[in-house]
Amino acid sequence: MTTTSRPGRPRRWLAVACTLVLATGAGVLVRPPAALAYVTINGAGSTWSQNAVDSWRRNVAQFGMTVNYAGTGSSDGRNQFRSGTVDWAASDIPYGIKDGNNLDLPPTQAHPFAYMPVTAGGTTFMYNLKIGNQRVTNLRLSGTTIARIFTGGITMWNDAAIKEDNPGLRSRLPAIRIVPVVRSEGSGSTAQLTQWMVGTQRSIWNAYCAAARRNPCTQTSVYPIVPGRGMVAQAGDLGVAGYVAQPQANGAIGYVQYSYAIQAGFPVVKMLNNGGYYTEPTAGHVAVSLLKARINQNKNDPNVYLTQDLSQVYTNTDPRTYPLSGYSYMILPVSLNAPMTTAKGETLADFGKYALCQGQTQVNALGYSALPINLVQAGFDQLRKIPGAKVGNIVIRSCNNPTFSTDGTNTLAKTDPKPPDCDKKGPTQCATGTAGAKNQETPVNNGTGGPGGGGPGGGNTGGPSTNPSGTPDPGSNPIAQQGACDPDTQDCGQAGGNTGDPNVFGQPVSAEAGLGGGFRIVLMVLAGVLLLALGLGPPLIAQAGARRRQRRSDDFTMPGGPA
Amino acid sequence: MTGVALAHPEGQETQRRRRLKANLGLADRVFRAVARGGGALVLVIMTLVGLFLTYRALQALRKAGPSFLTTQEWNPDSGEFGIAAVILGTVLIAIVAIVVATVLSVGVALYISEFAPFWLRRTLIAMVDLMAAVPSVVFGLWGAFFLQWKVLSLSRWISDWFGWIPIFKVNGVTRHDPLATETVYTSSTFIAGLVVALMVAPIACSVMREAFSQAPAGEREGAYALGATRWGMIGAVVLPFGKGAIIGGTMLGLGRALGETIAVVMIISPVFVIQPRILENGTSSVSSLIATHYGESSPFALSALFAAGLALFAVTLVVNFIAASIVARSRSGAVSEV
Repeated sequence: MTTTSRPGRPRRWLAVACTLVLATGAGVLVRPPAALAYVTINGAGSTWSQNAVDSWRRNVAQFGMTVNYAGTGSSDGRNQFRSGTVDWAASDIPYGIKDGNNLDLPPTQAHPFAYMPVTAGGTTFMYNLKIGNQRVTNLRLSGTTIARIFTGGITMWNDAAIKEDNPGLRSRLPAIRIVPVVRSEGSGSTAQLTQWMVGTQRSIWNAYCAAARRNPCTQTSVYPIVPGRGMVAQAGDLGVAGYVAQPQANGAIGYVQYSYAIQAGFPVVKMLNNGGYYTEPTAGHVAVSLLKARINQNKNDPNVYLTQDLSQVYTNTDPRTYPLSGYSYMILPVSLNAPMTTAKGETLADFGKYALCQGQTQVNALGYSALPINLVQAGFDQLRKIPGAKVGNIVIRSCNNPTFSTDGTNTLAKTDPKPPDCDKKGPTQCATGTAGAKNQETPVNNGTGGPGGGGPGGGNTGGPSTNPSGTPDPGSNPIAQQGACDPDTQDCGQAGGNTGDPNVFGQPVSAEAGLGGGFRIVLMVLAGVLLLALGLGPPLIAQAGARRRQRRSDDFTMPGGPA
Repeated sequence: MTGVALAHPEGQETQRRRRLKANLGLADRVFRAVARGGGALVLVIMTLVGLFLTYRALQALRKAGPSFLTTQEWNPDSGEFGIAAVILGTVLIAIVAIVVATVLSVGVALYISEFAPFWLRRTLIAMVDLMAAVPSVVFGLWGAFFLQWKVLSLSRWISDWFGWIPIFKVNGVTRHDPLATETVYTSSTFIAGLVVALMVAPIACSVMREAFSQAPAGEREGAYALGATRWGMIGAVVLPFGKGAIIGGTMLGLGRALGETIAVVMIISPVFVIQPRILENGTSSVSSLIATHYGESSPFALSALFAAGLALFAVTLVVNFIAASIVARSRSGAVSEV
């Protein structure tokens, strides 16, 4: 016994040493290159703009900036900023918008603040619908139909109102239940959707709001749920998108920011605008829509300066409009009240600078739309108010912002092509997919006799971002047309999918994510190994030594061991 | 202190020793004071939490009156709010959790303490402890994105075959309809309960395992001597001995299940109506109500949330007191009576 236990001891210490080395070694590896002047800044709020914020956060990490961001919903972001638990917040709606009886008072005294627009984009309706085995990717809906779906007025996918919006799918829409998926916690997406409903679908909204016994009926951040109408509420954009994307969730439709649908690889609803066209919120369309947003220019009142009034966006008659477009904001501290310091202010201002300048060149690919120059300029002025900020003079021309032009107009909006004719309200319907399912076509049988698929421009809704010049892509269309020509064979969609627009949305994203992804995977593996080592190491090591000693006394302690 | 004693070894030894004892007594007194202070602090903190909740809840409670206990809706701004639905939802989720967790943890505890080979035992204990250390948000993500969708067919099977039992009924589906959508089974009490069960099982399991492993060797050997099989011995000795721990562990788990927040938030789809059908979409719990609504609340609505929190606080306290008293009264940990 003694001879065997002797070498056991050093081995045990060796093992302990190994564990320690592993632990500290991993720690050294993980540590980023020394950050010079920057300190960690913490933010929380909107999940609507989270995909953009997260991408910027990853990118500024190379400058030694550590920016933490918790996507807990706009309401929570505003609350946390008000109570001083975060340095900055992101919110889709400003303070002070009445929600029921809740005034959501701005923290003007305790934490003076300034709004800075950071992202523009569209709130979309991501859906999971199959006809047989074929995923529907070209669904289009009018505002009224959408409002009725999200208030329980339309419950089946083969409802007459949906058929009317989708002539190409009319005969094939399945008789399954619509499962509207809404947000369960206070969220800016809900606020934007209900604001739009209050603005354009007031009677439908008021009836629903009354059925949910909300009084008074206002726009709201927490979606009211009437029991028994088949609605599902999930937490966070990611929760909604994750629910809709499940294979079992056939028939589900939920509202999320456009980028979440792209990430999930799912289509979004093309929404009818007042110009008579069904559109999706591509970068160009959002830029066009937001030309009509009225931005508050009262510099003397920080509670409203730069906030948006979207009522004219909802009713914009430009055929390229996406009605549910809007801006999302960062809430910046402009005083040194705790938890702010000048060091944090400098970091935050530099992060803001990145977001407004270089950051805007990437957002189109993610599913947002670049901010126009006037808002970038105004945003820089807001950044200068942060204590400790070193903004300097920025030459916006050097930012490569896709909206920039020499004559002051918005290039992104100016070059945005008109939607194809098949997207016009009428008897024909495009076969092309949307958002994350852009290159999956859905066979359509349009009412105009011929078995034709999309109209002349059918294959080119991706134009605005991939094709800034606006000229149609000659390579893909003829074949895509042929592919869509026979609605009865599955090969149709396949052929179209293979040949359709080779430079689809999102290539820069994958390249950028690829760079960060490899590193992240390494870190995750290291963290996993570390966790396992810390969890399993000590007991295993102790066990190695203790086993023999225990075995000697087994006969006494182990119940029925030898029996 | 010892230095003093060694410096004067001779003469008046007894007096010196008394002073030594007095010094030790001082240390004892300090220790006792610290220990007592610590104990008292826990009580003070608990009382303060209770008082604070009551104070903040008063505004809402005064307005609602007794209807606070009977109203199902949650619209504080409209004046119609109560905890009937949320408390019942909380209790239902906890019951599902505890039923699953008890079976699971009794089995695991018995296996670890009675059946597992020795080399596996420590690893298993470490794994169970590791399971207790997994943050609840991780359980929530896993539950919402993975487990839920794998459990749907089980939910469906139960409701198809046992739908005649009211709690297993699911409104809005035709039983045995192969084409019906499975979304009606998502975000249900059952699924939330399953995930919570996995979170409370480690706690319950470690309480039970401790007790089982202390079952007196004399009684075990007596059972074997009388010809019992291993299972016979467990049934005759270990389980009766650990009965108190099984109940106590279950109740401790129940206490945690009642308060579980974030995992429940991520899974359930809140409805404010009494919904006793555990397999059907839609349920609610007090903690998830608070987590999802505090952000968008007027001062009065916040007071109503405090009132709901107070109710949960009271329920949890009662459950934990009962658990503690049962654990204290049980024979677990006592020496053999033989």
